[in-house]
Amino acid sequence: MTISVAPGPDTQEGTRTGTAESTDTLAAPDIPWNLVIWNDPVNLMSYVSYVFQSYFGYSETKANKLMMEVHKKGRSIVTHGSKEQVERHAVAMHGFGLWATVEKASGTSGNSGQGKGKRG
Amino acid sequence: MAKAFKYGLKGITGFLEPTERELLRSLIADVISMLQPEEREGQDPLAALIGLDMDVVEPTDRAVRRLLPNVVKDDGAASLEFRQLTERSLRETKIGALRAAALDLDKDEIVLTTEGAKHWSAALNDVRLVLAERLDIRDEQDAEHVHLMQDWSQAEDVESYLALVYNFTTWLQESLVQAMLQSMETRR
Repeated sequence: MTISVAPGPDTQEGTRTGTAESTDTLAAPDIPWNLVIWNDPVNLMSYVSYVFQSYFGYSETKANKLMMEVHKKGRSIVTHGSKEQVERHAVAMHGFGLWATVEKASGTSGNSGQGKGKRG
Repeated sequence: MAKAFKYGLKGITGFLEPTERELLRSLIADVISMLQPEEREGQDPLAALIGLDMDVVEPTDRAVRRLLPNVVKDDGAASLEFRQLTERSLRETKIGALRAAALDLDKDEIVLTTEGAKHWSAALNDVRLVLAERLDIRDEQDAEHVHLMQDWSQAEDVESYLALVYNFTTWLQESLVQAMLQSMETRR
C-alpha cells in the first residue's frame, strides 16, 4: 500500500468545525477518490456479488448489500483510496466486465453506500 | 442439451453439446476479433511491449466501448489519458480469458479450476455484453423482453436468434457463477 497517511487538516485537533464524521476521517485519512460501480441491465446480480467477494474480499452480506445498491440506486461507491489505488481497481473491474469509474470524493454527493465513504 | 455447471468433488464441471460448443467458440472468436488491438504503422514497439498506446482513441463501436469503458464519467480527456496507459493490457487480459475458455471447449465435459472458472465467467460476461449491445438492451425492461424469448422454434429472424443465444449464455453464466459461489463458500 502506498497510501499517504499524512493527516488532513480536518483530522487535527482543535480545528473542529462541527463535522459529525470526524471519527471516520480519523480512521481513514487522506483517501479522496471513490471507485463507483454503475448499474447495467446485463451483468448478473450473482456475478456482481461474486466479483465483490472474490476481488475485494468482502463478506457475502456486504457484497450483496453493495450489489443491491448498484441495482436499485444505479450506482454504488464500493471502495475508496488514493487515485492510483482506485484506478487499479477500476481496470480490474473492467477486466471482469463491470462498469466502473473513478471520481474524486466530494463532500456534497452523499451517495456513498458505506458509512466510512461519506467524507465531509 | 447442455448441463448446468455444478460444484462437486471434481471441482466445477459442466457439459455442452457439440453444437453448443461450436456456437460458443464462434461467439468468443467474434469478441476476440473486436478486442484485438489495431496494429498501426510507426508504433513504438517498446511502448507497445510495456502496454502503452499513445495513439489510442475512444472506441467508436458501442459494444467495444462497453467492454473498454471510460474510467472517468463525463471527462473524455482524463479517460483518454488513462486509456493510453491501460487499454492495451486490458484488451490482452480479456483476450487471454476468452482464449482460455475457448481452449476448454475442446471436450464435451468441462472441468474448471478456480482460475479457469474465473476466465470462463469473465469470457461469458464479455460475450453477453456484446450480444446485449447488438440486441439493444438498454434497461431492465429491454432485458425482460429479451428474456421472454425461450423457444428455439420461435427463431425466425436474426434478432430472435440473437435473443435465444443471449438467453443461453445468460443461463450458462448464472449456473457457473452459482457453482463458483458455492466453491468459495466451501473454501471459507
